[in-house]
Amino acid sequence: MRSALLASAMVFAGVAVTAHAAKEALPPLDPALAAQGRSIYAHQCASCHGPQGEGAPHWQARNAQGELPAPPHGPQGHTWKHSDAMLYRIVREGWRDPFNKTKRLTMPAFRDVLSPRETRAVITFLKTLWKPEQRRFQWEESRKEPFPPQTNRTTRPADDRPPHEHGR
Amino acid sequence: MRAVRHLRSVVFDKRIALLLLLGPFAVFGAVMVNTKDRAPPQILALAVGGDGTTLLEMRADKLYRRAAADGAWAQVPLPRAVAPSRITAIAAVAKSSDVLYLAGQGLGVWRSDNGGRDWEARNDGLPSREAIAVTAHADRPETVYAYLAGNGIFRSEDAGKHWKQMDGGPRAALTQFVHSNMPGSMQSGWLFAATRTGVARSMDCFCGWYDAGGLNAKVHAVAYAPNQPQRVYAATEKGLFVSVNGGEEWRRAQAPAGSVTALAVARSGTVYAASGSKLFRSTDGGQTWERVDA
Repeated sequence: MRSALLASAMVFAGVAVTAHAAKEALPPLDPALAAQGRSIYAHQCASCHGPQGEGAPHWQARNAQGELPAPPHGPQGHTWKHSDAMLYRIVREGWRDPFNKTKRLTMPAFRDVLSPRETRAVITFLKTLWKPEQRRFQWEESRKEPFPPQTNRTTRPADDRPPHEHGR
Repeated sequence: MRAVRHLRSVVFDKRIALLLLLGPFAVFGAVMVNTKDRAPPQILALAVGGDGTTLLEMRADKLYRRAAADGAWAQVPLPRAVAPSRITAIAAVAKSSDVLYLAGQGLGVWRSDNGGRDWEARNDGLPSREAIAVTAHADRPETVYAYLAGNGIFRSEDAGKHWKQMDGGPRAALTQFVHSNMPGSMQSGWLFAATRTGVARSMDCFCGWYDAGGLNAKVHAVAYAPNQPQRVYAATEKGLFVSVNGGEEWRRAQAPAGSVTALAVARSGTVYAASGSKLFRSTDGGQTWERVDA
């Protein structure tokens, strides 16, 4: 009886290991890109989203102006639910909650502040804040909606520079 | 020979006697059965077909389809392996009048690609078969959402072949929901959910559920108008309500009957509402109603 149970357990464990192994491994994050993103985050994002990505206080309820405060970027937030393409688009173009009681963008646009590569860098940094299962969820979402190709360019073409850098 | 004739006569006499004795009860019983058959069963769910005009109606344990062209009802076959009385939700797919989904507790999710002639269980990746609600994406034919009791909302982007958990759903348990292509979403649309405490709304990136307006009432059904996506209807325990700004504010609408339990809106904006066994239609946004097939 004991040997039968042991055999069953071994078969179950084998199946579990096989099933786990069948899952594609998560691609590692580029440490240099994540480090660059951390620095950009500290300068451009932390004032609203918090130094550690903790979000604004009471971020889940509209504030007195009828706007949604900046959400956290860590495990407790929802940034990890968005594909790379969507995160890129929101950072570049901004987004306005249609139920905002003001005309302001809920998330400001950073098209004129960050290059495509820098935008990718800051999103790469955000990925370091997530749990492994959240990373996997986001990676699966991004397979169909990846970063646009211009984010792969490490050198910045002249016409791709933010306006304030033109003429430097 | 005479013995045989005698025996036949005895049997015949007994049959006549039996008929005379039980006849009135038999006739009465037949009337009872017919009356029962004709008693109109409750309408449990409504949906508008993917072409935007075909109405689907789950009435007790039968599914019916009504083509706008001729207005005639036709019964849609249901999967044999399913107890029809357990079906609580139906959905039709965008841009196709043949693709249907049904769901129910203990059944999971089923899909038909040919208007109900054949059905297939689509439950791979779902943790249970306790499906409460199902809704199809307003624009993407392969995307469908299911809500499972105790597990939350799951999304499939390949017609139900694989599912992925998106979130736990609204705070209050969801009884029915609908995907809407109302503009303004970060992703591709919105989900409106009927819950025990009101209508809940989330973008379809599942970035969080928020109360849509302050209905503060149990909601039986929610639907949106495809021709004016900001226009949302909610059938509640306090009556029928309509919003023209995506559920942000609600005003009371004229209800066709005491309690509306199912809603659907055609592409033209015609609103269908079920109350018990009665089906109503409004072509002026819920101001006036007429019985369908009265």
